[in-house]
Parts: sequence; C-alpha cells; structure tokens
Amino acid sequence: MSIELSRRGFCIGTVLIGFQSASSGAFAARSEDGTVRLGLVAPMSGPNARYGSFSLRGAQMAAKEINDAGGVGGRKINVLPGDSQGTPVEGVSATRRLIDQDQVDFIIGDVSSSVTLAMQPVVEDAGVLLLNAASSNPMITYKAGAGGFKWTFRNYPTDENRALIVLQYAAEKKGYTKYAVLSVDSDYGRAAIQFTKKYLPRFKSEILTEDYYKEGEVDFRSVLSKIRDSGAQAIIMYGNADSAPIVARQMMEAGIAGKIPLIGNAEFNTEKTIKAAPKALEGAIEAAAWLPGYQSERSKAFVDKFTAEYREAPNNHAYVHWETVHLLAKAIEQAKSIDREKVRAALSGIHYASAVGEVTFDDHNQARLPMILLEIEGGKPVIKGAYAAEIDYPK
Amino acid sequence: MFYTIIEQVVNGIISGSVYAIVAVGMTMIFGVLRAINFAHGEYYMLGTFGAWFAIEYFDLPYPVAVVIGVVATAVIAVVVGNLVMQRIVGASAEAGVLATLGVSLILQNTTILVFGGSYKFFSGGYIEPVSILGLTLAEQRVLIIIVGLVVFVGLELMVTYSRMGKAMRAVSQNIECCAVVGIDVRQIALWTFILGACLAALSGVLTAPVNVSVYGGMGELITFKTLPIIIMGGLGNVRGTFVAAMILGIAESLVATYVGLQFRDTVGFATLMLVLMWRPHGLFSAQARF
Repeated sequence: MSIELSRRGFCIGTVLIGFQSASSGAFAARSEDGTVRLGLVAPMSGPNARYGSFSLRGAQMAAKEINDAGGVGGRKINVLPGDSQGTPVEGVSATRRLIDQDQVDFIIGDVSSSVTLAMQPVVEDAGVLLLNAASSNPMITYKAGAGGFKWTFRNYPTDENRALIVLQYAAEKKGYTKYAVLSVDSDYGRAAIQFTKKYLPRFKSEILTEDYYKEGEVDFRSVLSKIRDSGAQAIIMYGNADSAPIVARQMMEAGIAGKIPLIGNAEFNTEKTIKAAPKALEGAIEAAAWLPGYQSERSKAFVDKFTAEYREAPNNHAYVHWETVHLLAKAIEQAKSIDREKVRAALSGIHYASAVGEVTFDDHNQARLPMILLEIEGGKPVIKGAYAAEIDYPK
Repeated sequence: MFYTIIEQVVNGIISGSVYAIVAVGMTMIFGVLRAINFAHGEYYMLGTFGAWFAIEYFDLPYPVAVVIGVVATAVIAVVVGNLVMQRIVGASAEAGVLATLGVSLILQNTTILVFGGSYKFFSGGYIEPVSILGLTLAEQRVLIIIVGLVVFVGLELMVTYSRMGKAMRAVSQNIECCAVVGIDVRQIALWTFILGACLAALSGVLTAPVNVSVYGGMGELITFKTLPIIIMGGLGNVRGTFVAAMILGIAESLVATYVGLQFRDTVGFATLMLVLMWRPHGLFSAQARF
C-alpha cells in the first residue's frame, strides 16, 4: 500500500514539476512587455540577509524614482530579485534563473565578493551585463574589461584602494606599525589582507598575528587574548557588520577595549555597532565607499528620502545599489536602447555625477571612486576626508 | 606562556559548558527516541529569539526574558513533540533523520519569515567584565558556568532518583520491555524531547548576551558542533556528554590560539575521527548499545 501511494505521489510530483517549467517558459518574454528587466542578485536570506534587504530597498527606490519620472526611454524599470544566500552556489543558480527564466538583460549583484567572482563567467557566457555595486575583491576587476570578462563592470571601490588608504592613515596619522589581523574567511577578507601586505613595506609596518574567522563565528576570546599578548597596536579587521559587535564586546572581556583599536572595514561606524561596546570602538578607523553622514546634497537627499520611506536610515549597501540603478538608467538613456552591446559601450564612456563624485570607468571596467575615511571619536563617527588611489593592475 | 594556556583552558571550559547544555538534551533524545535530532540547534535559536523578542518589544528585564525564551520553546516543543517526535519512536533511523531535518527547515524558515532574515542585536544580559585571579571574564560567562554545573548535577539526580528519570533510562535501554511492564513509552519520549528542547533554549538565552547577534540560521552551527560531542560521549550517555563537551571546548580554544581561528571548526570532527578509530562506540560507553 505504501509503495503504491508513494508511486502515485511521485507521478503527481513529476506532472506538477512539468507544469511549472512549462508555465515559466510561457510567461518569459524578454523585455517585450516594454520594461527594462533588471535582475538583482543579493543575499535575501541567510546570515547576510541584512545586506540583501538594504540592497533591494535601495534598488527599488531608485527604480521607483525613475519610473515616476516617466521611466528610461519610455520604459519602466522592473527589478527582479534573486536570492544568493551569500553563497557562490546559490548565487550562480539565482543568476541562471534570472537569465533563463526571467530573461533579464541587466543584473546588479552581488554583495559578497565570493558570489560575484562565481557569477562573472555565467554572465559572460550569456552576454548579460553584470554591474557590481558592492563587492570589493580586486580580482573582480583584474579579470574584467582588459582582463577578459567584457560583460562585468564595477561601481564600487576595491579593497586594494581600501587597504592602502587605511594603512596610510594608520601609519601617518596614528603612528601604528605593528598589526594583528582578524578578518572574515572569504574572498573579501582574505584579499583585503593580501593587499594590505602588498603595501606594508611602504609604511615599514608588520603583521604579528593573522587569523580568519568563519561567517557566523561567535567566540573570538582565544584569538583576542592572543592579540593582547602579541604587542600589536591595532587590529586589522575586514569583516561583516554582524561580527563587529561580537568582536567589540569580547574585546572588553580580553581587556583590550580602548587600547588596541579596530581598523579596516566592518561597519564599525553604525549606531548599532557602537552601542554594542562603545569603549571598544573608540578610535576605530574605517574606509567606506559611502556613509549616511557624508556631506553632499545628493547624498543628504537620498538619506532623507530613504529614511522617510523605510523608517530606517540607509546603510552603504542601500546607497550603492540606489546609485548603481541610476547609473545604469543613464547609460541606457545615452545608448537610446536597451540593447546590451550599446548599453555596455555607453557605460564605458560614461561621465556620471554620483553623490561622492564623478564616475568614469577605466579599461578594466572599474569605476574610479574615492573612499571616505572616518574615525570614531567620542562615540560618533567623524569623517576625516575622502581619499582616492590609483589601482596598480598586475601586468 | 603558562598563564596564556590557563586562560585558554578557561575559555575552553566556558564554551564547553555551552556545548554541554545543548548536547545533553540531544543525547537524551537520542537515548529515548533512537533518533539524532537535527533540529536541536533550532530550539537553541528559538529560545534566543523568545528572549530577544521579550526585551525588544516589551522592554522586559533579562531574567524574565530568559524564562519567556525557555517557556516559548517549551510550547513549540509540545506541538512538535506531539506531531512529529512521538511518531519516531520505533520507526526506522531514516525516518528520524528526515523528520528532524524537516522540522529544522520549517522552524528556521518560519522564524526568518516572521522576524526577517537579518541579524538582530541582543541587548540584555550582564556583559561587564569581572576579574577572577587575573582572568577577565564577562559576568555572563560566570553565570554560564554556574548554570551548566547546576543543570548537570540536576540531571544526574533526576535520572538516578526520580521516577521519570528512571523511566527515561529504562526506555533508552529497552523499549519492548518497558512497553511490557506498562511504561507509556510515547509519553516518556515526549517529555524527554521537551526537556531536551528546553535545555537547548536555556543555553541559547544564556549565551545571547556574549554572542550579541541573533538570526534565524544560528541553530545550524550548534547542531553541527553538538553532533561530534554526543557521538564522542557515547550516544545517550549524560556524563560522557559533559566530558566530551569540555574536551571539544578546550581543544577548540587551544587550536584557535596556537594554530589559527580558521581551523577551529575542524577540531570537532577531527577529534571525533580520532576517538572513533580508538573507541568506535565513543569514549564513555562500555560497548555499542544499538
């Protein structure tokens, strides 16, 4: 009896799956509905879902602004989200789904460098334009444009720039020369340290201990006591926003809060992180692509509008996705078409006035962008200036 | 040098206490139900979410939030216990694996659906550092060690002297005989499961102040830490679980310090493999029981 039942279940299941794939094929109509079909790959679930949610809201807000103003070349932008869960495997299947089933022409994504690196060959095969807005691993643009992948662009500063800028500030303004490393074990965290090492000799500095944590790690005590005993003057941390408060709290336990500051990038400057352990975050130095306190009219207008719309202040990811949708819309407008070849050409030669400065792309499809440097003083992030650095591409 | 080692051992004992409270529930559930509960970490997560919810939405003090977290988990455990776990008694091992994996997915995704997938910030607890013999620890960690000891002494007393405890041991030794002498096996299974889930929840709310971030997927990591512990401890063995949890906690702490943080998660399964090569039925069982 039970065998018969499961056989029946199997048949019904097979038929249902058949229906599903048939119907998704029938509904797919590439841009024939008069819209610009824009895929957005981001972690919508899993430990990095926070980033995905900010990214999606930023992109949707930009799409709505463009659509309300009459669309781009008369077409409305339709944002189609795909969930990468922050992992390369899921990111690739989300990208495939967007390309094959949703028939998108343009994709923005992903937040995580590991995912973006995995997406690059997929979009290259399909000839779909991938505009990255938030991954910072330098390899992404080493491989793009003149590097081979002609369909990948990045509208975000790279970790190579970030590493240099942070190190320069720490050495010149703070006099640090001895560091401990505590970064996330991903393409982002590892690459940031790799490029930090490239510039260490320039500032006569050295790394004393080097540790990488898995995403979701909650116990940093052992490593923090090791760092305390190592004689390091600062901890270089390239990590996620969600680990920063845990590390900060455990720094209090290890007795290094306020003595060995965190430097690098892991959203040290958000109110939530500072609230977790104000003493530990005092003196933290961070280089960010953008932050809500940045003083420019376009930036302030974005913060006000986003806060009013979602009753929450935007973070970096909301901003970069919002700006990138606008950038893409301008490229489509200049191309006077949604033909991917033409949009790609328009993007290569674009001069776009973003909130942090003019965006142009180099021959590796990498946007030339400044980074904003800030230090936490008296429990508040204080902007220390915007710094730009040229990328030293490997020959 | 010597001081550092002592400090790392203490760190290890603290994480060991957390693992122990979670793992003891899982090992008791295995004893009675003969099923590895892959959803065990989810009860840890649910307890933490319960407490976070109480603090965030009702502004309740931490001790009250602890009670709410555990009680909320108990309520969910009653439902899951009646709908799923009771039916696993006497079923095949595959049924147990699939059923508990399913429960894990449902609990995790329902939480994400209700509260969103993002990290939450847990603001309660006692996080000020205290100094004990030159070691600085958050007050909360001292609490974790004390609660861990109380739980284990309590469980030892319960399984040795109480009627329910004796019945649990009996069921874990021989279901058929228990049924013959009139013990309600399904009822015992249900209560063991609820107790296990509550212990996992308790561990979750105790560690939340030092782990700070709360999110839907946080249980997975705990389940996979717990698995090697209960196998090492000899499945179903309460005392063995305690020792195995401490071994893992201390080993992880030393590896994180002297080898590198990135190798920490490999310790559990590497230790497990070594132990199983030497004693295939775990460290503390005289022989394989099943």
